[in-house]
Amino acid sequence: MSKRLAPAPTLSRKREREVCKVLACGNGFRRSSEQGKGGIFRSGLAAYPVILLQIIAGGLLLGAVYALFSAGLSLIWGMMNVINFAHGEFVMIGMYVAFLVVTALNGGPVAFAPAAAAFLFLLGVVVYFGLIRHIIRGPMIAQILSTFGLALLLRYVTFWLFSANFRTLPDNLIPGTVDLGGVLLGMPQLVAGGAAFVLTIGAHLLLTRTALGSRLLAVAEDRSAAMLMGIRPDRMQALAWGLSAAGAGIAGALIATFYPFSPGVGETFALTAFVVVALGGFGSIPGALVAGLLIGVIQSLSAYAFGPVYKDVVVYALFVAILWVRPQGLMGKLV
Amino acid sequence: MRWGWLAIAVALLLYPWILTGPFYERMGADLLLAAIAAAAWNILGGYAGQISVGHAVFYGIGAYVPLLVYTHWQLPPVLGIPAGILVSLAVAAVIGVPTFRLQGHYFSMATIAVAELVRIVVGNWDFVGAAIGLMGPAVPRSLLDLSFKSAVPYYYIFLAVLAAILALTAHLERGRMGYYWRAIRAGERAARSLGVPVRRYKLWALLLSAGFTSLAGSLYALMVGFVDPESAFGILVSVEMIITAALGGVGTLLGPLLGAAILVPLKATTNSLFGGGGSGLTYILYGGIILLLARFEPGGLIELSRRIATRSLKKAKARAA
Amino acid sequence: MLLEAHQVSRAFGSFLALSGAELELAEGEIVGLIGPNGAGKSTFFNCLSGDLQPTSGRILFAGSEVTRATPEAHARLGIGRTFQVPATFEEMSILDNVMVGAFLRHPARGEAREAARRIVEFAGLDRLRDQPARSLGTPGRKRLEIARVLASEPRLILLDEALAGLNPVEIQEAIALVRRIHARGITLVIVEHIMEVILSLTGRVLVFNQGRTIASGKPRDIVDHPAVIEAYLGQRRQRRRRE
Repeated sequence: MSKRLAPAPTLSRKREREVCKVLACGNGFRRSSEQGKGGIFRSGLAAYPVILLQIIAGGLLLGAVYALFSAGLSLIWGMMNVINFAHGEFVMIGMYVAFLVVTALNGGPVAFAPAAAAFLFLLGVVVYFGLIRHIIRGPMIAQILSTFGLALLLRYVTFWLFSANFRTLPDNLIPGTVDLGGVLLGMPQLVAGGAAFVLTIGAHLLLTRTALGSRLLAVAEDRSAAMLMGIRPDRMQALAWGLSAAGAGIAGALIATFYPFSPGVGETFALTAFVVVALGGFGSIPGALVAGLLIGVIQSLSAYAFGPVYKDVVVYALFVAILWVRPQGLMGKLV
Repeated sequence: MRWGWLAIAVALLLYPWILTGPFYERMGADLLLAAIAAAAWNILGGYAGQISVGHAVFYGIGAYVPLLVYTHWQLPPVLGIPAGILVSLAVAAVIGVPTFRLQGHYFSMATIAVAELVRIVVGNWDFVGAAIGLMGPAVPRSLLDLSFKSAVPYYYIFLAVLAAILALTAHLERGRMGYYWRAIRAGERAARSLGVPVRRYKLWALLLSAGFTSLAGSLYALMVGFVDPESAFGILVSVEMIITAALGGVGTLLGPLLGAAILVPLKATTNSLFGGGGSGLTYILYGGIILLLARFEPGGLIELSRRIATRSLKKAKARAA
Repeated sequence: MLLEAHQVSRAFGSFLALSGAELELAEGEIVGLIGPNGAGKSTFFNCLSGDLQPTSGRILFAGSEVTRATPEAHARLGIGRTFQVPATFEEMSILDNVMVGAFLRHPARGEAREAARRIVEFAGLDRLRDQPARSLGTPGRKRLEIARVLASEPRLILLDEALAGLNPVEIQEAIALVRRIHARGITLVIVEHIMEVILSLTGRVLVFNQGRTIASGKPRDIVDHPAVIEAYLGQRRQRRRRE
């Protein structure tokens, strides 16, 4: 195990990915993972309440970020019955926007989060008008391959621009740790998790409590009826793509503060979002929130129990299990 | 039509005599292998319309098992081929049985999730070589090891396998199976109303496709004599199958071969132009091609040429009238 | 009885689209289903063809229970259907479309092809046999759907607005086709808005309103039935008010 954990100075591209996943997890709750793989379960959970709390808290914070970007995927699915395979790449691009704002403009989180949102919103709208609206009523193969091809394109353009090297944002962007009765939480994680939580609830309120939201939902419910009411579905769907991408972008920018990234990270995020949406029920933002938090906790518990590299394995296996047992999701209901 | 196939067959049989030298011989073998894998994907994605974006899982299993039986039990790798196919079929059933109850994108999402899951597990499992991968016999112990210095023997083995897959596909295409697959792709509800057992026929397509993809992976491992998680299970393995079939024409017999005939030389060219470090450019190109195909011509080049042909025919008729 | 439906109900969430629908159908009948939009005709149709499972109630076909059987099982037993919005296989040729139906009873390709050819001729689509389905207009598509389901050799065909959107000449042709189908000994249930079709084709009519059958009888009598007039006029009045 240990030989693969130590990052060599020059890593092959393949290997780098593995290391990323290790680092990414270890970073979130470094203290707990140092306790050693499997120890907590062998010695009984009761002996380590603080570690357990630490793991759960870390999982919840990361899970809130999952919820934020998964909500966008869910919205698109619920409204247009399109699954966006490039959603993870939207998150990844959000990370690189943050990186550029920090390195080129010397900006902080207050600058890069909105910058990522704005850039991704624009990208989402462009993708909608350039691609999605043409394939939305096309054959299945066009629907799936369009966003799949887009994912590849975005991933490798980023690769070409920034190389495959892992990037990190400076440690001191959001300095400090908070000690909650022995549970240590890094400020970057707290800020990211907190902001993501608030934004996800905000998105839900936007959909359910505002005029704009009801127009969006009207299009989701019945396109032609919405048209009769004077709503232009095309605009609403473009807006949904913009919002969905913007959510992914902010989520990416937020975790970039503590999550090393390379152009390849998108795939993991996309798959995580699939699991969250499948668990929470397609088209449901509250479902995405609960499922996101749950997946975050499951992931950090399994990282601790089986070793960091297996955290995604457990989550993907959960996805297959959901499809076998309860394909409509836990809170399954379409918009 | 029959003459066209004959011409293709003759050209493929003669290829190693026309373009000689290790570079072209290997490219020929790679081309046929890409066509085999794409033809396998095409059975499911093209004919039955169920889009897998994680077919690498079957390819990887097929690639690993032969070298695994060699590494642990010193058996000839060939013996691992049927074992690999069996494992692939089991994995296919795990994906297909639940998702084929559902319509839409669930199947696609499950394929990529399972492929990633298996890739990570394989990359960390010492029994299967973890991140390092597995080696085949360095020096052939007997002919059974199917280890040759030249790519030409592989070329002819691959050609035979491709011919067999295409012959089987052609046979199925003409019969009830092919009609039912195309009906399912066109509209599940209508197909069911006519008595098509949709779930069973989708599963048939998946199992056939997974089995042949596994075989393609095995052939790859036999030729290269080395596999690692990324080259066998990586997402790009799936991407190459998809783009090869989609560029040529999904749901057509010739599509996979046509796609391979364009993409394999293209990839060899871009890789030598941009070097290994610039291989990202190849995949930018791939992403762009897939995206443009989906947007403008989901039927691929064969459909495009058909459309151009009918259009010019109409024009000619209009001129004659 | 060929087909019996007893107390068939179907809810979507809290909305009861069908509540206690009844139908008894003898072999050789042509029965019409009429009723205002949203009366539950389509839901009832979907329950009869297996596309939807009733929330409660029983459906028997030729004496055996089919309440929860799949659509493909219905087709195998001999219940065929067409769709309100034609669902032809667009990229496949007309003959190939019909062959999909024919394969149900003729697994061998040659026989299926022969059977499909006969049906295509019967349905008057002979000339267009090798054209892709997408080249057809709505009337052609509806005709193709009928041919396709005929090829699956059903005992009962459910026609869901198979004549809607046709011009008067096409309607006459379609009526003739339905008569010829009936002459082959096939029982039919027809959902239709056009009264002319109902009056000239059906021997018996069931009127749907708010998810249940409110009247049944000979077409001529039904037209004058007070409950029917109320259901139709009531709705028309409402519609006028909305506009």
